[in-house]
Parts: sequence; C-alpha cells; structure tokens
Amino acid sequence: MKKVLFAIAFAFFALTGYQAFAQEPELSPERKQAIDSLALEKVRDLSKYVKLIGSKNTPWSEANRVIDRAEELFAPDAEIGVSSLSKTKIEYYKVRKYLERLMRLNYDRVEIDWYKIQYVSDLQRQPDGTYVGVITIFQTFKGYDAEGRLVYQDTTKKDITVYVKRKETQIGGRLIGFWDVLLGDMRVKETTHK
Amino acid sequence: MVPVLMLALCFKVDAQVVGNLGDVQVDEREFYTMTKQMGQFIHRFNYEEDQYGKRLNPGDKDYRNAAKRKDALALLFDFENPRTSGALRNYFIDDLTKNNNQFFEFLGGNWYSEISAKFKWNGQMVDISMIMALEEDGLGSKWVITNVFFSEFQKYFPQGELTEREKHFLHPMSHELDFMNIYKVFNNPQTVEYYASTDYHPDYLTLFFYEIKQGNLKFDHVESVKFHVFQIKNWYFEVSWFNRSGYNSGWLISNLVYLKENEKEALIKIYQPNK
Repeated sequence: MKKVLFAIAFAFFALTGYQAFAQEPELSPERKQAIDSLALEKVRDLSKYVKLIGSKNTPWSEANRVIDRAEELFAPDAEIGVSSLSKTKIEYYKVRKYLERLMRLNYDRVEIDWYKIQYVSDLQRQPDGTYVGVITIFQTFKGYDAEGRLVYQDTTKKDITVYVKRKETQIGGRLIGFWDVLLGDMRVKETTHK
Repeated sequence: MVPVLMLALCFKVDAQVVGNLGDVQVDEREFYTMTKQMGQFIHRFNYEEDQYGKRLNPGDKDYRNAAKRKDALALLFDFENPRTSGALRNYFIDDLTKNNNQFFEFLGGNWYSEISAKFKWNGQMVDISMIMALEEDGLGSKWVITNVFFSEFQKYFPQGELTEREKHFLHPMSHELDFMNIYKVFNNPQTVEYYASTDYHPDYLTLFFYEIKQGNLKFDHVESVKFHVFQIKNWYFEVSWFNRSGYNSGWLISNLVYLKENEKEALIKIYQPNK
C-alpha cells in the first residue's frame, strides 16, 4: 500500500511538476506534506537497512550489498556525527564507515528498533534554491553477549538532513519535472531514555 | 505546575506517528512532549502545532488560537529553573496571548544561535563562543557568523580608566608639524586603541578570522548550542537543549528577561555589531 501511495505521489509530481514548478515557487502546505512523505520513505528505507546491517543473522555479503543501497540514499559528502552521554564531543563518520562499524559490532546478538514518534521540520530554502529539512527519529539499540545477557543498550535521537531539489528529466521527448529527495548529514545523539 | 504536567501527560502520540517506521511497543509520550527541534519550538510557541502534534496551517480553525497557545506556551519552559517557572513566565504568556499578535518567525530576524566551542589557540585548548544569525541570501537563507566572544581577544582591549584614556590624544594642530608626535601612539601597545575614534569598537570577528588564517587558532569541537531571541516586544528569552527524562525536555526556555526595546538595541549590537 505504501509503495502504491509513493508511486501515486511521484506520478502526481511528475505530471504536474514541470509547469507548476518552473519558477520554483514557495511550497503550499499540501505540496510540502507530499514531499514530506517522499522524504519519510527514504528514512524508512534507511531504518530497514540499518536493522539488516546490524542483525547478526544477515550474511556478510548481503550486509555489504545493503550498505551499498543505504549509501545511495545519501548525498556523496554526507557525514554522520555521533555523540553519547559520556562523550559529548561529536565523532564524524562517512556514511559507509558508520554502517560498516555497525556491521562489525562485537555483540553476539543485537536488537535495533525504531520508535513510532517522528518529527518532520519545515522545508527551508538555502541560497541555491534547494529545499532543506530535518527529520527526527528515535532508535533503541541492545547488544547481547553469547550467554544472552544484555551488555549494552542506548536510545538515540537521529536528526537527518533532507535535501529536496527540483529536477527535470526527458521522457518521450517531453521535459518532466520531479522532486529529488536525498539524505544529508545525520546527527546521532544519545538520550537519557532507557 | 500540576495542570501543566497533566496536560503533558494527556498528549496523544497519534498525530506525530502517521505512516511511522516504528516497531517499539513502549510508552513514547516522553518523546512526544520533547521539543525535538528548534522549528518545533517555534511551531509550539506560535500554536502552529496542536496538542496532538498535528501541524496547523493558516486557514485551520485553531491556527495560532490564543487560548490554546496559552496552554502550549507554559510547556515550553524549563520547569526546574525558578527563573523560568515563576510569575515572570505568567506575565510573558499573558503579554503574548492578550492581543495574540506577536509570534516567533523563523526568518523574522533578531534571534541568534550561540555555539560554545573548543579551539586550540597556540596549542592550548580555549573556549570561544560564536554568534550566528540567519541571513537571507540568493533564493533562500543561511546561518552566518556575526560575532565571537573569546576572553583572550577581550583582554587586548580593556575598557581602561577614563582618566587614563583622556591622557592619550593627538592635539588638533598635529598636522602642522607633519604629525611628528605620532610616535607617541606606538610607545605603549596597551594604549594604542585610545588614539582611535571615540566611536571605535574592536572587531573581534576580524581578529578571529585573522588568527584562523594565521594558523594560530584551530577548531576542535562544539560543546553546546543555545538560542537568544529578541523578537518579542519588551522581552528577551534564551532557549537551551535539555537532554533528560520526563515530560519537560528538548528545546526549552532557559532564561527570560523583561527588556525594554531601547535597552535591547545595545544588546543586539553585541550579538551583531554590523547590524
């Protein structure tokens, strides 16, 4: 059902986009909401990939393929900035490095779950006209040792940059406009919630 | 306090989770009540987000509703701070909702971010605060650095005793002597700026850039971020991040001051000298 909605949203933008957005006007709340759902779709994909990459049941080669897919969701220069309650200084990772670290975590079993709560910011335009927003989500992580004991757990707030850019493509000799959504820098901050 | 807490507890989670990605089956109210982004703070402050988390747009019945805004505003204060949980808070809320015509606008100017950061200065770790403002540019906007506070820079330009300052000047006929007395300006580096105009103010931002370009100052990391808001008539407030459990967390008002508009000007000059 979600995929159908996504396809409808995409088609709607593709068909109405070129004429309506040739001048890139301010976004109406309705249009903004539709773009939000495109952005959330990317974040949803990311959350699925993170679970797969972190899972010890995912074969190594498969996890590497998933890392490739996850990396494609991000802009090439995107970085992940991580801090914890004990270490507030932000550690920076390239997306691939961050995901590879997740894959190599030294636990016998890990559980990664996402909270239902999410917050999607307004979209603001940066000087070059690209829209930029931030989606906030929350994740719990639990790491178990070989005896099944919980040895590490945290809950993190993830603030993910979303870039939304108007693009055009030629289909059947006709210029078709569409909104391209790409994830940018992600800030990962540990919360006090357990 | 109790009604405020009750209101927080009554919040429903539904509206912020439409099409959610979550699979955690636990109480999420803490995360719902948390003001998760500064943008959400602005929406709650203006009552552009209802008590169920639904975004309100112009034309919606409850958009910026004064009575509901009054309740929502009370939740945006740090409850654990006496400066932001007493009578002053109530005056502020009354002031905002009485005519209900003052709102916090993202691109409305007169609000600043303060980044407290660590730098290495000639090999030593030092604290520097950078003041940031939103500036419209091209097709959109961007954050720009408007000033820096670094105690070592300030030490170079002490206010000095007025009587001492008054001793240092070049008399008005110096030009007739080819400024042969100019050497006095440079006799004592500590007083060199006394020979500048009475209106002279040191430009710390240029010093900051100079030290960076010279390689003397190197960025290390950000310690914390907060916001200073001067947009509301006769009020100043500060917004800080509270990473804690409970129903009073996230971006909250951490300081509130009744400040006349004419007193604000001098303060704003500190944050943005070139305004």
